[in-house]
Amino acid sequence: MSEIALDRALEALLFLSPVPVSVVQLCELAESSPSDVQRALALLGTRYGNESGLEVAEIAGGWVMRTRAELGAVCDRLRARPPDERLSPAAIETLAVIAYLEPISRPEIARVRGVSAEATVGSLLDRGMIEEAGRAVDGGAMRYRTTPAFQERFGLRGSSDLPPITQFELSGAEAEAVRQRLRDAGHLDDEDA
Amino acid sequence: MSASGRVADPLRLPLELDLFEGPLDLLLTLVLREEIELAELPLRDLVEATLRGPDEWDPPTTGELVLLLCSLVELKARRLVGEDDEDDYAPDPDAELVRERLAAQLIAFAPFQRAGMWLSMQDGIDGAVRYRRVPLDRAAALQAPHAPNELSEAIIRLMVAPPMPSMGHMNRERINVGEIVAELRGALRRTGRVSFDELTDGTDRLAQGMTLMACLELARRGEANLAQPVPFGDITVHRVQPGFAGE
Repeated sequence: MSEIALDRALEALLFLSPVPVSVVQLCELAESSPSDVQRALALLGTRYGNESGLEVAEIAGGWVMRTRAELGAVCDRLRARPPDERLSPAAIETLAVIAYLEPISRPEIARVRGVSAEATVGSLLDRGMIEEAGRAVDGGAMRYRTTPAFQERFGLRGSSDLPPITQFELSGAEAEAVRQRLRDAGHLDDEDA
Repeated sequence: MSASGRVADPLRLPLELDLFEGPLDLLLTLVLREEIELAELPLRDLVEATLRGPDEWDPPTTGELVLLLCSLVELKARRLVGEDDEDDYAPDPDAELVRERLAAQLIAFAPFQRAGMWLSMQDGIDGAVRYRRVPLDRAAALQAPHAPNELSEAIIRLMVAPPMPSMGHMNRERINVGEIVAELRGALRRTGRVSFDELTDGTDRLAQGMTLMACLELARRGEANLAQPVPFGDITVHRVQPGFAGE
């Protein structure tokens, strides 16, 4: 398949697919080599630039053709997001803990968050954002990890596409601010901070 | 404070120094300087010795003495308990540990809170998945729209009234033996004899049974004879000529 024909074929496949398509799949479907597919994807990326309403992006280990982020509001007028699709702040925080520490058990999540995570973990399981990842030892607590659906939802290329957690750590001044808030709330004495 | 008395009693020593007046005043100063171990000082003996003294205590001196003894008792009590005022307000080390753990936990969890905020922003930007999610197998199963004439034909077929359901099983057939007897008489009058099988051809088992009863009734009345040459074979009903006067 010539490259010109290949990029059109990939364009059609990505338009049609309801899930991200891996490069391996694209190679099989288009009967082309990985290097040709990569070149054709790059060509498609150029074709669907900022002037287009669509973009070709790599998420969840595959490639998709999707609407551009800045058009989300107008797209949502056509496709109203059901309320149950939204995630609560507690669910988002729990998801962040699991994403960075996976595989992680429910008691470990509760220790990190400082509150019970039973209901939140159940909700994330129901939504397909996380899945069971086995037990560390026989009889131990079940551990959980994020799913490709999580990567799709948050536009991640893969499980390692998250920003480093050190980027979010508190600076010394911010940590001191936390202590000050505790003092203000009566949880710490001045001389002990 | 001034005190006077016998020389043998140390509390009655006429002690008058530049800075002290009497032994109790000196004692209190030595205690405050920690040159005397107050915990080992028998305060009860001191009080009793003071009160047993021969001197008459005037009210100001008595008040001063009571105040001095109370100070000694308070100092000894604190020394025996082993705590001073500063210690009374010392924070509980266990509570401090819990508070420090709380601060450490909040600081440790803060990165994940921030990561959650970052995820929320990604979620908000994406507006969830921004491509069509209809599975291919479901999409392939969707049929193309039909032509208007096909749809109208289908609707017409739907609008045809269905056949009325049979209520036959709910209606019991009413058979009158008298009517069968009259019919049998007429047949015999015309032909002289009839075959039971011909007579009941095409009828149900109830009608066949009722017809047999009609034949037996005519035979009982002497109006007909029944003949069945072969067991389970056809029954022939013959008209009886002489006695046939039932009309």
